[in-house]
Formats: sequence, structure tokens, C-alpha cells
Amino acid sequence: MRNLVKAHERVKDFDWDHSYAEKPDRYPTKYKIPRKTKDPFRHLIRDYVSMEQEKDDRQYGAMEDALARSNSAGKAQPRWMEILKIAIPTVNFGEYAAMKSCGQLVDTVDNAELRQGYMAQMIDEVRHTNQEIYLNRYFAKHAADPEGFHIGLKARGINMFGIAGRAALEAFFVGDPIEGALNLQVVAETAYTNPIFVTLTEVAAANGDNVTPSVFLSIQSDEARHMANGYSTLAAVVSNEDNLKYLQDDFDRAFWRQHAFLDPFLGTVYDYFQKDRGGSYLEKWNEWIVEDWVGSYISKMEPYGLAVPECFAIAQEHMKWKHHTTAMLAAASWPFQFWRWDPLTQADFEWFENKYPGWYKLYGAFWENFAQTTKATDGVNPMAAFEALPPLCQVCQMPCIMPRLDCSEVRFADHAGRTLPFCGTMCEKLFFQEPIRYEQSRTFWQQNHGLGLDEYIVQSGLLRSDGKTLIAQPSLDTDRMWTIDDVKAWGMEITDPMVAIHAERVKAKADGAVLNGSGNGAAGNGAALRIGS
Amino acid sequence: MTPVFPGAVDCAGKPTRDFSYVASRRRRLSEYEAVTCHTQPDVLTYDKQGWLLRDINGRPPWVVESTALHHPNWFRFRDPASHWQRTYVRMQAEQERSIARTAEDAGANGVIAEIDPVWVKEILGRHYRAWSYAEYGLFRAFAVAQREALSDTIGNVYCFEAFDRMRHAQGIVLHLLELEEFVEGFVDDGAKAVWLEDPCYQPARQLVEELVACNDWGELGVVVNLVFDPILTEVAISQLVRRFGSYHGDPVTAHLVGTTERDRRRNLEWTQELVRMVTADDVPEAPRNAAVIADWIASWTPRVRRAAEAMAELYDTPPLQVARFEDVLATALAKQEELVRALELKVGVAG
Repeated sequence: MRNLVKAHERVKDFDWDHSYAEKPDRYPTKYKIPRKTKDPFRHLIRDYVSMEQEKDDRQYGAMEDALARSNSAGKAQPRWMEILKIAIPTVNFGEYAAMKSCGQLVDTVDNAELRQGYMAQMIDEVRHTNQEIYLNRYFAKHAADPEGFHIGLKARGINMFGIAGRAALEAFFVGDPIEGALNLQVVAETAYTNPIFVTLTEVAAANGDNVTPSVFLSIQSDEARHMANGYSTLAAVVSNEDNLKYLQDDFDRAFWRQHAFLDPFLGTVYDYFQKDRGGSYLEKWNEWIVEDWVGSYISKMEPYGLAVPECFAIAQEHMKWKHHTTAMLAAASWPFQFWRWDPLTQADFEWFENKYPGWYKLYGAFWENFAQTTKATDGVNPMAAFEALPPLCQVCQMPCIMPRLDCSEVRFADHAGRTLPFCGTMCEKLFFQEPIRYEQSRTFWQQNHGLGLDEYIVQSGLLRSDGKTLIAQPSLDTDRMWTIDDVKAWGMEITDPMVAIHAERVKAKADGAVLNGSGNGAAGNGAALRIGS
Repeated sequence: MTPVFPGAVDCAGKPTRDFSYVASRRRRLSEYEAVTCHTQPDVLTYDKQGWLLRDINGRPPWVVESTALHHPNWFRFRDPASHWQRTYVRMQAEQERSIARTAEDAGANGVIAEIDPVWVKEILGRHYRAWSYAEYGLFRAFAVAQREALSDTIGNVYCFEAFDRMRHAQGIVLHLLELEEFVEGFVDDGAKAVWLEDPCYQPARQLVEELVACNDWGELGVVVNLVFDPILTEVAISQLVRRFGSYHGDPVTAHLVGTTERDRRRNLEWTQELVRMVTADDVPEAPRNAAVIADWIASWTPRVRRAAEAMAELYDTPPLQVARFEDVLATALAKQEELVRALELKVGVAG
């Protein structure tokens, strides 16, 4: 038998100092990484490909055999299946971005041990990218309602939440590669892959979907190695004291960027699309993020110079309500989406009140009202609930209504002659730390300003195969579904709320008012949803 | 009658049961296309809202300047091998298992112990092992190229080639460990110094370092797969290590090299496809692309040739003379010229 210890030593001694041609500094990093560190990756390629082939055979074999024959996808709870139409393509960009992140790390981190780990992760990420899109296509073929699955990656590109997802996940590979690794490996993979790939599978299985768990759990079996990459990268970073002066800021930023999107998004998926109900997202968050990630990992890094992000306390406070507010906005704006909502029932209300005491008082009226206006025959304009569209954050691209409509922390700031909206102080702070990174980003409202809602829907391909019924619906009721003619009748034009807010602020300034970051009367409220009444 | 499950919509037309957003190369969408296409966002088609983050110099996630080649739609590229992760990993797992079994058998039945000792020490222990560093360097270069490539279908072929290169580098190391086990007195030691200092390898090392420094992913693919491999890898590895091996009682190395030649054929094919795509008649920048590619080939070929020539004396090392260096090099150069000719680069047209 071959000597594995020697094999590992030798495959990690491939580096040499280049003397003929200097490699350009393609992805500049502030960090100094030692040439030798602990080895995060314990597999040779020979073992790796054999192991991955076995895992692939099991997963794809199950999907095409027992799961197809038992029609698991067709029989799953429709409520649950609907949210996968956006969830799978959105998560998928994380995998693709991770593959790119690993390419940068291979180039930048001059350490053969770490490079071996990044190499395996790079090909793992191709695996996950392919697996998830295979799953998406599987649902296009087998789900009871395939429409929405069939346009997955295209629809992600024009969907306001798909776009917010991309904003967070671009941080894996745009910028300092070590900051990318903090976003990807230390925050997203170590903190959030458990809620995504483990706990979501519990919800899926409880709701009759055994296909998603087959794929997600196979993905998660690779993630442990990626967490080890993150740990080894972090250990390498903190081993040089000079790095510490940058690390905390970058880490705080990484946590916030990922939290700002992933938590409201996952919380909505988790809590609002279960039919056969179990635990809540908050319970899982406390288990995986608070106890596991912070309690057993990040807080233990303090002696080495890395503290739990200050903004973690803000996030923890926001966690009570943030995703409920997001879900409400996403439901209220359902014609923009490409999935159907299943209105909440009395049983759901009880579950929410039990899991989130005080929920009904804050959100119950909205959902009571939502359930009353789900049929096209009602003849109402569901978009009339919007007094104005909420501004979208210049940094995280999420609606500036967090944590709750009645106590929104929306901020406005002047920058280069524009008024820019932020969902709160953290995103505003991130922006002004590095405005060049965010100032050119356009929001969904800017992109579609002036377009009729009906035009947006037609142009985006959000109609069913009959050419008139919307893919998105506010209920699973197929009696009289909403059509593009209904939307035309509403006469709604998409208007970037920042146009009016900016004009009001300019006028207020001219009138001598002193504007601070938030509020400022009508201009500051930005958006409002009439809840309930 | 098809059963209608809860949640089914049977009142809005016959639903589309496959991806409708991928322009399939053939009549039906292939599995490869379905799981690969548009996984990379494209701000010109489905992601028109644009990029949402830039680096501290204002650079967005991808930039068209990452290659001197131009194409109106890089997402049109298709890998001729149609590999996605599952098929690629399965293929490499099969190759790795076959190498492991060949080596295991050759160890058990005494073949390895009987390999010519000069062959083991000089060609495998020094030369072939030194080559593992070249492969590692190319792995690094391709890892960056996959990051920068301007579409998912292109990024993936670069990613797989990065993995190919590391597979070969590791395969050499594992093979020498087996030799240590079965050949008395053999130790895998000293090849790094050969790579770093032996004059035979310095032009090759220089080339690899220049390829790691190369900032154009198009150039990297063209140069490695159309120049470096057909000339240098052919002369240094295929014609010497593989071809001479069996005459020196070594069937294992020949098999290992054979698997990397399978990778090489695949990589050559996608590179030819990439060249075809950017020089196709319907591409406005085709003449310019052809000129760029011709310049790359013209600029790198003499350097690659020099690196091959520097290895001439290695052909005197094996006890049995299976082929003459001059003949091997001449054949490799002629075949490579034919490869280039077959690209039909119309460089005479104004670009």
C-alpha cells in the first residue's frame, strides 16, 4: 500500500519561487499569508474523484429511480414546491461565485497546502452548481406546477430577490480574495450552509419533497471540507499580527452582507412555505448561527484577535421580524414574482404567534386581508396596497423596510449629487467605507422605472404557456387565475421611489431644512404598505 | 389519463416541461447544456440590471478586457465533450482506478521491480518527476483562467483542465511512491532541484512561469493546447516517457501518460472549437481574432520549441534508443503546424 503521509507531503511541495516571470498581482490582498500552514484537505485526487463519483451515483440514481417512480416531486405539498422556483436558482449563484472565489484564492494565497483545498473546492462548486440546476430541471419535468421552474436562471436575473441574492453572493469573489473567503467560507459556508442544506431538507421532507434532501444533503457532505478551508484560511490570517488591523472590519462587513440577504430570504422560505409545520427559522437560526457558529467557533477566536461582529447584536435583534417583513413585501408584490403564494390559514397564524409572540398584532391583518383578495374574480387591484414602492438599499438591494414597517431604519444619504437609500446604518456605513464598490449599482426600481407592470411581466416572460395567465398567483386556487389583462386593468407603472424622495429632499434643503440620515417626513417614509384595513 | 396532483394547474395551457431559456445546440436540450448554461450571470441578456459589486478599483465581477479576443456572445460556446461535473468526475475516476490497478498488478507480479534501473532513476525519478512541477504551474494558470472566462461553458472547460493538470502532477508523485515501495534503493528525491536548476529544464520552467503570469485566458488556452502540449509535452512526455517506457519494462508509466493524453485530446478539441467560434464568418471581429491568435502562436512557438530543444540530451539517457530526438521533434513540429493550418486563420484580411 502506498504511504499516504508521504503522498500528502509531496503533493503539497509543488510550489517554487518563480524567477523568470513575475506573476501579476491580479487580486490584490491586504493580508499576508504564511507559506506553510495546516493542511485543510486530506484527499488525493485519486480518492476524491472516486468518492465524488460514488456520491453522484447515489444521488442521481435515487432521483431517476425510486424518487421518479414514486413521483415524490409531483406529490409534494404545493405550497413548499412554489418557493423552490426562486430558492434554487438564487442559491445556485452562490455555488458558481464560490467556484470563482477559489480560482482567486489559488492565485493569491501562496501556500501549497491551502491551494490543494481550494482546488478541490473549486471542482466541488462545479458539482453543486450542476446538481442544483439538475434539481431545478427535475422539478420542471416532475413538479405538479412546473411553470417557473422552466425559466429558473433567466427569472433569477430579473427578480428583485434573485438580484438581491446576487448582490450578497458577488462578495464571494469581487474584491480582496481573503475578504471573499471570509464571506464564502467563514460566514456563508460555516454559518449558513447548515440552515440551507440541512434544516431546509427537514422542511422539504416533512412536506413530501424527498428530492431536494437527496441533492442538498449530498451537497452538504462536501461543505465540511469547505468549512475546513475557511478555518485554515482564517487560522493563516490570524497567525500574522499585521493582518488583524484589517480583519475585523472585513469580517464585520462579510457577516452583514451575508446576513442582510440570507436571513430574510431563508426565513421567508422556511417559515412561509411550510404546510406541515415543524420548527421555525428563528429556532434554527439560534441553534446554528448563535449557538454553533458564534458560540462554538467565532467567540473562540477572540484570543487570536477576531471578535464577534458588533453588528451581530443588531442582526440578532432584527431576526425577530426581518423575514416576516420581507415575506409580507414579497407577498404584496406577488405579480412581480414567478411563484405562487398559498395564503396563510388560521392554523398558520397560530403557529406564527406561538413561534414569534406578537406576530399576529404586527402581521395578522395583512395576511387576513391577503387571503381575501386572492381570486381574480374579486375585481380588486392588489397593487393598490402600495402607497409607494419601498426604496431598495444601494448596498444589499433589499427593501428599505427593515426590521419592520412601523420602525423601519431606512436611511438616506447624499452622494455625488444623488440621494441614496440604505436599509439601515450598517449598509450605509459599508457604502461610505468604500463607495466605489456600490455607487454604480442600479436597483430593480431604477432598472424598470417607467415600465408598466404588465410590460414588465410580458418582457420578463412571466406568463404561463397559454400566453395570458401569470405564473405568479396570490393563491394555489386555479378557479380563476389572474391574467395579464387583469394587470393591464390596474394601470400600474413601476416608479422608482427615489425620484420623488430625491426631489423632496432637494426642495427641503432649498427651503433651509436640515436633513439627517433618516426620516424627513414624507420623503423619508419612502414606502408604505397599507396593512389590513 | 394523467393524474392531476394537488397544486397542478390544468387551466392555463400545456405547461413547458423543460428549460425554455437555453439556446440548445441540437434539437433537444442536452443534459450538459441544461446544467451549465446561464449559471454565470450575463449582463447583456438575462441580468441586464448589471453588476452589484465592484472591487476597490471599480472593477466588476467580469470584464471583457480579460482576453484580447472578442465575441458578441461568449455564452454560445459549447464544450465538444459536453462535460459537466458528473461526467467529468466519472471519467477521471475511471482513469484513476485503471492507473491504480495497473500499478497494483505491476507491483504484485514483479514487473515494477524489473523495470530498467537507469530508466527508473533518471527518466522517472528525475525527468518525469520534474515535469510534475510544470503541470502544477499550469494548474495554477488554468485556475485563474476559469475565474476570468467570460461565460460558464468556457469557464468550465478551463476549470476541468486545471483539474487535469493537478491530476497529472499528483499521479506522478503517487507513481514514484509505488516505485519506492517495489524498487530497492529508489527514493523520490532531488527532482525539485532539477526543475529549478538543471539547464535542460530552465526554458520549460521559464515558459510555465510566463504562462502563470499570462493575463489573457484566451491566450493561455490557445498557447497551452495548441503549442505547448503538441510540441513540448509531446516531446518531453509522450514520445520519451510513454514511448520509451515499455522498451524499458515499464508499462505503468505508459498507461498513466496515456490517460493524460486522453485529457490532452479533449482540451485540444475545445480549444479548436473556441478558435472556430471566434473566427467564424458571422463574428464581426473574426479577422482581428484570427490575427490575435496567429500572433500568439507565432510568439510562443519559438519559445516552446527552444524549451523542447533544451531537453534533447535527455533522449541519450535511456539505455535503449527507441527514437532519435531530432526525428521526434521534427514530427511534433510538423503535426503542430498541421494543427495550426487546420484552424484556417484568415489573418490576411484587414482586422
